[in-house]
Amino acid sequence: MKKNLQWKVVLTVAVIALAIFLAYPFNDAKIRRGLDLKGGIHLTLQVITDDSINIETDQEVTRLEELFKKNSITFSKVTKEGLGRIAVQGALADQESKTRDLFEQYSRDWDYSFTADRANLTLKPLAAQFLRDQSVSQAKETIDNRINGLGVSEPLVQTQGKDKIIVELPGVDDPERVKELIKVTAVLEWKLVKAGPAPDEATLLQATNGQVPDDAEIVKGDPKRGEGGFYLVDKVAVVTGKDLRTIRRTTDEWNNPAVSFTLNADGGARFEQVTGANIGKQIAIILDKKVQSSPVVESRIARAQGGVIQGRFDAQTADDLVVVLKAGALPAGIKYLEERTIGPALGADSVRQGLMAGLVAIVAVMAFMVFFYRLSGFNAVAALLLNVLILFGALAYFKAALTLPGIAGIILSIGMAVDANVLVFERIKEELALGKGVASAISQGFSRAFSAIFDSNLTTIISAIFLFQFGTGPIRGYAVTLTISLVANLFTAVFVSHLLFDLMVKKSAKKLSI
Amino acid sequence: MQLFKTPSIRFLKYKYVALAITAAIVLAGVLNITAFKGLKLGVDFGEGTLLRIALKSPATEGQLRDLLKSVDLGKSQVQRSEKTGSETGREFQIRAMEAASTKGNEADQLEAHEALADKIITALLGDDGKAEKARGLIDLNTVDERTLTGLLESAFPGSGPDAALKVLSYRNREGIIRDFQDLSGEGLKPEVQTFLKDRTYLGKMTILSRETVGPQVGADLRRKAVQATIWSLLGMLVYIALRFRLEYGVAAVFTLFQDVLITMTVYSFTNREINLPIIAGILTIVGFSINDTIVIFDRVRENQKLMRGKPLEEIMNVAINQCLGRTIITSGTVFLTVGALFLFGGDVINDFAFLMLIGTIEGVYSTVYLSCPVVLFWQKWFGTKKGGRR
Repeated sequence: MKKNLQWKVVLTVAVIALAIFLAYPFNDAKIRRGLDLKGGIHLTLQVITDDSINIETDQEVTRLEELFKKNSITFSKVTKEGLGRIAVQGALADQESKTRDLFEQYSRDWDYSFTADRANLTLKPLAAQFLRDQSVSQAKETIDNRINGLGVSEPLVQTQGKDKIIVELPGVDDPERVKELIKVTAVLEWKLVKAGPAPDEATLLQATNGQVPDDAEIVKGDPKRGEGGFYLVDKVAVVTGKDLRTIRRTTDEWNNPAVSFTLNADGGARFEQVTGANIGKQIAIILDKKVQSSPVVESRIARAQGGVIQGRFDAQTADDLVVVLKAGALPAGIKYLEERTIGPALGADSVRQGLMAGLVAIVAVMAFMVFFYRLSGFNAVAALLLNVLILFGALAYFKAALTLPGIAGIILSIGMAVDANVLVFERIKEELALGKGVASAISQGFSRAFSAIFDSNLTTIISAIFLFQFGTGPIRGYAVTLTISLVANLFTAVFVSHLLFDLMVKKSAKKLSI
Repeated sequence: MQLFKTPSIRFLKYKYVALAITAAIVLAGVLNITAFKGLKLGVDFGEGTLLRIALKSPATEGQLRDLLKSVDLGKSQVQRSEKTGSETGREFQIRAMEAASTKGNEADQLEAHEALADKIITALLGDDGKAEKARGLIDLNTVDERTLTGLLESAFPGSGPDAALKVLSYRNREGIIRDFQDLSGEGLKPEVQTFLKDRTYLGKMTILSRETVGPQVGADLRRKAVQATIWSLLGMLVYIALRFRLEYGVAAVFTLFQDVLITMTVYSFTNREINLPIIAGILTIVGFSINDTIVIFDRVRENQKLMRGKPLEEIMNVAINQCLGRTIITSGTVFLTVGALFLFGGDVINDFAFLMLIGTIEGVYSTVYLSCPVVLFWQKWFGTKKGGRR
């Protein structure tokens, strides 16, 4: 073997070995299929980031009220005027400097201004943006945790743009459950019941002359849990989901699915004190503003003891409740913008047909190349096969999913791989027609065709990179397979094919089968 | 094997005729798209809901449409899916065309579309399965894996997941289970089969896919697709301008614009919908066309050195002729490949393959009759600097 060919052979064999190593055994685990080929659920959801501003504004109102009381500043009312807008009413003019100091010290995220009888506060844009961003990243994390609780293999949870989150769950076939699981805010509260349950609000408020007391609020029962009616409960919760230490699926004394919990030190102490003081009263367990159940406190519940949430759950609902409570509450509401459920049957169908079509196409192309270019055609066939092999290796390495548009990308690259071979072969023929010897015709053919192959492949690679950068899901899938196979193409059609000619054709050969 | 001796056809002699034809087609297309039929946007780029269903027994599009008419969804598009190697009339694609009731704000649009999908499903099912459901039976054709596993596990502890997998793998392969008898080949134990017959029933329909896109995402996808296309065209323009000359870059991108326009024109006449996979198809055509164009430009670049002093038009003619063999072989091969996809690719790939068939022919034409003339005209109008870059 000629010396300069040795390292080329070694390199080629190494690439083949690497591709096989990466993609072996060419199964699902190695070559991931996209949702369109495998089936599954794709959701795009939007985090309602206004919620986080709302919460912050509410909290600031409470904070200001306390602050003014503590510092004995007289005021009549602190009101929320809108998203990130608060007004403090009352004669503030004579206490302006004192108030100003308080704002400077405790409300750094707020801009303020004074008028004759009131102070206006607005949330600084930077602080608002921070809150919004934070709510999106927290929501993503929470959803991530909940999805992990589902036990789906290779889920994808990804933020997109400013406030969108994409969730992809391959192989999952019950969208309703997943949607519910993601969407519940999962704010869990225990609150003492003042009155209820009553069939309507009027009956509920009879004892209090039709007025809702300042320290109470009305919540509805959750019909799904068999809890109809209205409850009047304390505004302040005894404990909340944040106080939970452990949470577990269990069964209650009637062997129905239920959820057991224990509380952290702080929450446990409060729970012990409140249950001790309210024996015989009802305590409502409220999830997302809906009463799940309202057991009667029968004895003081010791801090380490914990308790059980019953709510006529079925097994799956109880499971899901554990998942969402463990994952924590969403910081803001979400809404769905896009939902796609692809059944596994459709995906399997597409794969079967796609494979069939791809196979027919490749075999047809190969047969044609061999028919038209004789022995040299085998050269092209080898280059083509190697190209596909490298593609699979790279897909496995990058963990990129194969999608239908991705198959389109492969078809384009097969076309361009064939074209590269055709360009070279036609050029070799031209050189032979000019009366050149076989060896020099081959080397001239490759070097003359190179600029066309290089430029056309690179132009398309450049466009594919832009498509990847700016495109969405399916277009990206296309760009990925295209880029990989075109890079592989430059290697196989130019380097490997040339090498094969050099190995097969003797320098002194008089004729070339082309 | 030699296709033919290098011919010397004076392709560019007909450049004005060709330009006129191109202009006519593009004009017709633009008119058709803007004034008459318009492009049919699929759910990806528009908004709405698309269902793919499989039926237990064959039906016609008309029958399904009648069922939908009875619930005021008569405008829905019902399309039969052709599936190779299976009886037709069992798989359909349905897209609700009624405007979703949007009393509320934009945020509720998706819910409204989802509700439409539910309505379609209810209408198609009719009374099917109502009696069985009342008796507490489960529809084996729509049940999800978890529920079925749970049901089987409670009756046959230890073998639930395995049995469920066997049933579902049959359903996934066939799309729908038509008869309990069909499951006998799946290696289920007889008692499992008896149990299934007792506790489940076979509904008349299964949902193969259900896709709902809200207005926000639709607009987003549209914007992103346009953005991606423009940037990638710009990228190509810059690269070709650097490797060849500015006018070649302009000509190439101009050609690509025209490729997209003509393909869209033909596509708009055939009533097919524009979806994300179709965008991939258009990009593929663009890829082939740019490949063709560059191969010829490359030859022109080379010939300019060999044929100094000759007019560019002649140099181009020679280049086109020299590349003719390659053009025919390559395009022929691609045509072959895409033809295979068109015939065997099945429903989802079919639209894509159709687009590619048009594109392959069109791409060759546009390279010869658009990119070369544009370079010629450019040089005529703006003059030419001496010496090509390499």
